[in-house]
Amino acid sequence: MKILFHSLFVLLMCGAFTTSSALDFGQQLRDKLKEQLPEKVRGVAEALGETSQADEIAIGRQIAGNLLGAAPLVNDAGLQQYVNRVGRWVANQSERPDLPWHFGVIESSDVNAFAAPGGYVFVTRGLYALLQNEAELAGVLAHEVGHVIRKHHLKILQKSRLLDIGSQALAKQVSNNDKVQKLIGSGAEITARSLDQNAEFEADRVAVVLTARAGYDAFGLPSVLQQIGHYAADDSNVTLLFKTHPHPDARLQKLDVAMGDRFDTVKGLTLAKRLYRVKP
Amino acid sequence: MKNIGIGLLLLGLFAAPAIAAKAKVVAASTESGSALKADDIKVEPFRDAKTVGSLSSGDKVEILSKDGGWLNVKSSKGSGWVRMLSIRKAGSGKATDNAGGLLALASGRAGTGKVVATTGIRGLSEEELKTAQFNAEQLTLAESYSVSSAQAQQFAAQGKLKARTMDYLQEGAK
Ligand SMILES: [Zn+2]
Repeated sequence: MKILFHSLFVLLMCGAFTTSSALDFGQQLRDKLKEQLPEKVRGVAEALGETSQADEIAIGRQIAGNLLGAAPLVNDAGLQQYVNRVGRWVANQSERPDLPWHFGVIESSDVNAFAAPGGYVFVTRGLYALLQNEAELAGVLAHEVGHVIRKHHLKILQKSRLLDIGSQALAKQVSNNDKVQKLIGSGAEITARSLDQNAEFEADRVAVVLTARAGYDAFGLPSVLQQIGHYAADDSNVTLLFKTHPHPDARLQKLDVAMGDRFDTVKGLTLAKRLYRVKP
Repeated sequence: MKNIGIGLLLLGLFAAPAIAAKAKVVAASTESGSALKADDIKVEPFRDAKTVGSLSSGDKVEILSKDGGWLNVKSSKGSGWVRMLSIRKAGSGKATDNAGGLLALASGRAGTGKVVATTGIRGLSEEELKTAQFNAEQLTLAESYSVSSAQAQQFAAQGKLKARTMDYLQEGAK
């Protein structure tokens, strides 16, 4: 089953499809495949709660649209293009370089970042304003990329048993699809939900590696965590971040143990000059 | 600095009274910190470099500069390079959410401060996320900024970023 889905992804990704046609195409293929599978195998796949990549993207798209309903993009095309370049370069270093990755900076004074399944990643203006260089941006985006590639949010949805890959045409009429919306709960609430703490530590570990693989200074994310660490716990701009993530000090300590001295000699670029300065 | 100050002042003057513009000011002078754990002070930012002193947990340091995972610090136990993850930044670098910062900037009294955020915008509460309504227009816009793998590669090359291989980290050490 896994192999079948795999080859399907490869097929899907080799074609130069736009996102929406890829979704339809994926659905058709998947339906075709299902017809050809013995009943038993199908049942197993469904019981395991595997979610196709097309469904994953459809779910993420709905969450992203809802999040943007709460906080729109910062109105600065240069900024948005810049974060997409940095983000895509970082995501390219992961095992899922072919997801249709989307990055953005949203209008909020909060210090936070969000990821949705399928490759949607957003940072707030409040967090972006803290950044000192491109390696720090790469580190922050890489943490979110980590959530996506390890399917942390998707697993929450799968656990809630609402995700039924046997249901038909999840991916059809993606925009404002009632079915997808039912799955993800209310609005973009899933992005405010706390993940398992281990998922956060895992995303941090993935982040430093992806940042280093991309040629950046691996300490971009730790630098940002150090900055955020001295925000007062009662500062309203970090309320949600501190609620959904372990305290930055704990994250730094975990990273310290995991990184050991492996990065002491791994030098990378910070690219402070290239960091896009957002208009206040 | 002057320009930012003026911009802030203008923003302050024109912002609706209900949403007072806020400024976050971070001292631009040296940052201070303290040792999270005992660690050596090295003469250079390398593990094998000569040790010139050692910090005990809680020791105060002044952070002068940074190089990768190393911080150049000054302390009563000596000056040199300490591993970044052994240091907790504190005190002077603390972001303060205040209107005083804006006033100070506008009056030119905060010459040493640097503005890290100017906001008339609000935060994002859990409630707002729960009740958020799908915005198709914004989503389409967001997706329009997407870049291809090849474009990202070109961008990396422009910055002289070179991809390299590295295994993922395990939870524990090494
Ligand atoms: Zn996270």
